[in-house]
Amino acid sequence: MAKTKEISRRIKSVSSTKKITRAMEMVSAAKMRKTIEAVLKTRTYANLSWETVLRLAELSTKRSEPLHPFLKARKKINKVAIILITANRGLCGGYNTAVISKAKESIAKHPLPTDFILAGKKGLSVYNQDFTVAAEFEKSEVLTDAREIYPIVKMVLSDYARKKYDKILVAYTDFINPAKQVPRVKQLLPIALTSDQYLGIVGHESGLATSREFLAEKAKKHLCLDGYNFEYTFEPSPKEVLNKLVPRLLEVQLYQAFLEANASEQSARMSAMHQATDAASDMVSELTLFYNKARQASITGEIAEISAGANALTE
Amino acid sequence: MANKTIQFEIVTPERVVLRQEILQATVPTASGEITILPDHIPLVSILEPGVIEVKRADNVMEIMAVSGGFIEVMCGKIVILADTAERAEELDEARIKEAKRKAEELKKTAKNKDDVEFTDIAVRLEKELARLHAVNRWRKLKSDGLNKNK
Repeated sequence: MAKTKEISRRIKSVSSTKKITRAMEMVSAAKMRKTIEAVLKTRTYANLSWETVLRLAELSTKRSEPLHPFLKARKKINKVAIILITANRGLCGGYNTAVISKAKESIAKHPLPTDFILAGKKGLSVYNQDFTVAAEFEKSEVLTDAREIYPIVKMVLSDYARKKYDKILVAYTDFINPAKQVPRVKQLLPIALTSDQYLGIVGHESGLATSREFLAEKAKKHLCLDGYNFEYTFEPSPKEVLNKLVPRLLEVQLYQAFLEANASEQSARMSAMHQATDAASDMVSELTLFYNKARQASITGEIAEISAGANALTE
Repeated sequence: MANKTIQFEIVTPERVVLRQEILQATVPTASGEITILPDHIPLVSILEPGVIEVKRADNVMEIMAVSGGFIEVMCGKIVILADTAERAEELDEARIKEAKRKAEELKKTAKNKDDVEFTDIAVRLEKELARLHAVNRWRKLKSDGLNKNK
């Protein structure tokens, strides 16, 4: 009797947990739809602008004088900053750990003094691992306004200009589809091409990132590189145009990274909660089986006792 | 006459406004209005709030209002990265006039506000003006077209 009671208590607790996870699944499904819509809307803009910036960077390297200070890689890199975009809350599968370990991996590859700039509460776990944190920014659960990231952009650009950092990276999770998200580290500043690096046009379909070859091919198609050297004309002047263009496009890139991260977070949470709901269902049916078995056993036991008693009387 | 065309693409953070083969485009840049024809030299420039006129391959004119952004011209391709952009036929004149009025009012009362707010309002006003301009231009074009048909 005691056994069945205990099992039925467990069934109750598991099924109420299931209710919670199902509700969370629904909530994040709704949020996911919103964030995916947002990320897909800006993707074309972000990709086109990133291509423009990279073309300018490519052009800049061919010149003796760089077009803009942000387009030139510094010779000696003393300090690096990583903008780490994580979720505010857990319960989203491996989402947070994946992006954090990706960021750490990239630090391990190039062991330089590195500062973290955090966006999202779960990033705080880097504190426990002896990393320095330069700043923490609050991140809203679903980003709706580009203005929310302006403080980050402003800080990063001025720190870079003051040479506090010589390289700015952003670690985020690229949204591929609701079932697949890939953590990625992308170089934001300086905007320069290095041969071994994936250029990471944000969320470029299943190709994930765009390689140098892709860009070269595109340049060939649109810049008439056959035969003569081409040169952009800047109106009114290169300096004026680039001073406006480059910061703006960096803003767009970071904004896009945030949107990708948001969509990934909601998708990750939805599938994690879906799995939890499924697991709870399995557990409930298993426990019900045990419960019935235990109940049957106790009934059989009782009958055996009664019939044994009856037998004893007739004898 | 086989006219030469150039690929034209105008995108905003929200959507792709127009992506088409065109004959020519007139855009408001920081150093004045320019018209781009196929085989234009590569160019990068800043856009001012104003009206973009595009002649499509089928000789139909498209009018659009932009509120600033950038233009990149490559061989056989024009890319416009606009902050906001609308096609004239999507715009609602009454609403624009209302928005413009509000912005003007704000500007008047904004004398004692800080610089950031003031520029914000000024930008909004410019944007509405550009939209209004686009609608007017489009209407004129349409009535001209009707007259010709008669």
